Amino acid sequence: MNVVMAGVGGQGIILASDILAEVAMRHGYDVKKSEIHGMAQRGGSVMSHIRFSEKVFSPVIPEGECDILLSFEELETARYLDFLRPDAWVLINRYRLPPPTVSIGKEMYPEVEGIVREKTRRIVFVDAGDIALSLGNKRVLNSVLLGVLSTLLEPDTDTWEQCIAERLPEKVRDVNIMAFRMGRDIRQENKVRGG
Amino acid sequence: MSENILLGNEAIGYGILAAGASVVTSYPGTPASEILATVMRLVSENDLHVHVEWSINEKTAFEIAFANSIAGRRSAVSMKQVGLNVASDAVISASYMGVKGGLVLVVADDPGPHSSQTEQDTRLFAMFAKLPVLDPSSPQEAMDMVQIAFELSERYKTPVILRPTTRVCHARQVVRLPEIIDNYTPPSFEKDPFRWAATPGPRLRLHRELNEKLKKMASDDLASPSLILKGKGKLAVISSGVAYAYLRDVLGLSTSRDISVYKAGMAYPLNRDSLDRILERYERVLVLEETEPVIELQFSSRQKVSGRLDRVVPGEGELTPDVVRRILGIFTGLEDYNIPEPASQKRPSLCPGCAHRAAFFGIKWGAPKGIYTSDIGCYTLGLNLGAVDTCLCMGASISQACGFYHAYKGENNAPPIVATIGDSTFFHAGVPPTINAVVTGARFVLVVLDNGTTAMTGNQPTPAIGSVANDFEGRQVSIEQVLKGCGVKTVLVEDPYNVPNFIKTVKKARKRTEQEGVVAIVARHPCIRDKDALAGQDVYSIQITDRCNKCNYCIDEFECPALYMGESKVEVDMSICIGCGVCIHACPRRAIVAEPIRR
Repeated sequence: MNVVMAGVGGQGIILASDILAEVAMRHGYDVKKSEIHGMAQRGGSVMSHIRFSEKVFSPVIPEGECDILLSFEELETARYLDFLRPDAWVLINRYRLPPPTVSIGKEMYPEVEGIVREKTRRIVFVDAGDIALSLGNKRVLNSVLLGVLSTLLEPDTDTWEQCIAERLPEKVRDVNIMAFRMGRDIRQENKVRGG
Repeated sequence: MSENILLGNEAIGYGILAAGASVVTSYPGTPASEILATVMRLVSENDLHVHVEWSINEKTAFEIAFANSIAGRRSAVSMKQVGLNVASDAVISASYMGVKGGLVLVVADDPGPHSSQTEQDTRLFAMFAKLPVLDPSSPQEAMDMVQIAFELSERYKTPVILRPTTRVCHARQVVRLPEIIDNYTPPSFEKDPFRWAATPGPRLRLHRELNEKLKKMASDDLASPSLILKGKGKLAVISSGVAYAYLRDVLGLSTSRDISVYKAGMAYPLNRDSLDRILERYERVLVLEETEPVIELQFSSRQKVSGRLDRVVPGEGELTPDVVRRILGIFTGLEDYNIPEPASQKRPSLCPGCAHRAAFFGIKWGAPKGIYTSDIGCYTLGLNLGAVDTCLCMGASISQACGFYHAYKGENNAPPIVATIGDSTFFHAGVPPTINAVVTGARFVLVVLDNGTTAMTGNQPTPAIGSVANDFEGRQVSIEQVLKGCGVKTVLVEDPYNVPNFIKTVKKARKRTEQEGVVAIVARHPCIRDKDALAGQDVYSIQITDRCNKCNYCIDEFECPALYMGESKVEVDMSICIGCGVCIHACPRRAIVAEPIRR
């Protein structure tokens, strides 16, 4: 299984990808994972590859081999379309951070859905930021997205919740578990959309 | 033995302590920074007798570890590849002298480059310095290789380089955790001035010894690439580092079983006879390695060899799985060769609320149309604001300012010159060029951007904090006193958040350069990533009034990610604005207003 997580600095992508890797390890898989740090910490693009199966050699997913793309920002989705298999799932958080060319008014923010649809019909849009705000903590949006992602992967929610709990400080543990469960619920209500 | 998912750098940190190192040093730099951070954490968790420090620069870090090594104890030092340039004087000399206790030098390379000035290959440096170099392909292997490196170092009495790349440092995998024990070895420095203080005469003898060592190392088992996959055909690939892992994945996706795969764990020195034997067995051999032809250059004959030198492998850029797939396509003659340009990335910016932005804005107003030399750190991003014209390497902001002064000296309309350098970078490499500028009578404004931390690499301490590691109270070194000690007469301290005052200070400093030469400003405001400092700072609610006429001035000249152009006026992205209130100075029509929320 090859999963790409993409977005921008500060959205909790590295933490979310660590939790997925941990869940996969506890299910007995060989896990490898790659991420790019550095300049990305300052609001630039952030990307993480997570791979798990019987045996994984490299931490980087080859083009055309990604099973699930989980995108934390709409436009970031477009950068990783070459990675997708024809039947890949694409989960997109409804959040737009305009790149400089858009914020200075030179270009319009593009509509991403059409571009993704040319690659795969399995698209799910989630407004994770809205759900996070309804829980009173915008930083839990990554747990919401993990909830959505979990419905496509291991059904065993106990391991997911345990891994989330272990990685987070006590005072935000419960709110993240709630966010995770709400993420699972939307996906279940949203079955009709996204193939 | 338990298992855990570790970052490559964490695995290396575990390896260093499991091998019993008693001194571990580093200077922060991506992608190497987490190595020492892990060592520090494990030392305090296990209460080990290990000296750990963020040194002032890589050269000092190496020299401290080297001293411990010649006192008979295992030592490790880590840095990024350009840090090795800084340490190189010491490293090459130490290669001649050799070591006593094992000395492992971990140098993280950054093909791509993802967060570095160059794609330089430390393995090629190792060849130049005549040091053995190990090239791990995964976090687990990096950890195992630390142990091998220490053994090698003690067997041949030489420093050993472990060279992981970004894709190993920042990969995570399931790793078998080694036992961490307190391995106390008493120091035992034995005087041997013909070695440890060798003058040119004895150095010839040391060079001869070094050549003998290299010859012996080349007959070690490690020096022969090992056969991993035996193919049916007449083609072979020799790989090292993460390129090996990509190769295995790419071959795993294809049905062809023709290609044999060799892996070189040690990239230099290699056993030339074993390379010759590989050549005899195959019609053609491809070398996959990052980023220079180090293995390739060690073949005595390259007629059958493909790689960087015959351009089958591109001469720059990272070897990704896709690049490896295309290279294999050409090598086997099955596929066209077409390397796509990487997709453009979002431009990184200084954080919303960063005091560097305020300082750069003030510098542009206080010294307009100047030449702005700058340095390595978050603040290099001042180039987005047009307030950074140069960035060469650590410390060069000050020497380049000095150089520009002498270039323009006596010219009509010579531009004002302002150098910007971060606090950590100032300590690392800024002191000698400051003295040089004072001595040569150069006139410019030197702004030390003092946010109290090494922010770019994850907020490591600086000498001004006084601490070099956790659990360690040191003595603080004051930036102002260092500047004065370098001969700078006037040192002005100002918080750049107060933009009007900061502009006045820049103007004043500029004027004084006419009499005093170098005039320094310490622009002091804590990094907003320091949660405690942020909690103590005033917070404002930012509103854009209807006076906004969409002139774009704030977006172009102030460049805060929280400000963007909306339909009818500029808008504030409240999800990222920290309410610093500095942007009110960035609107010529005063359309940005700030209401205090918390003082």
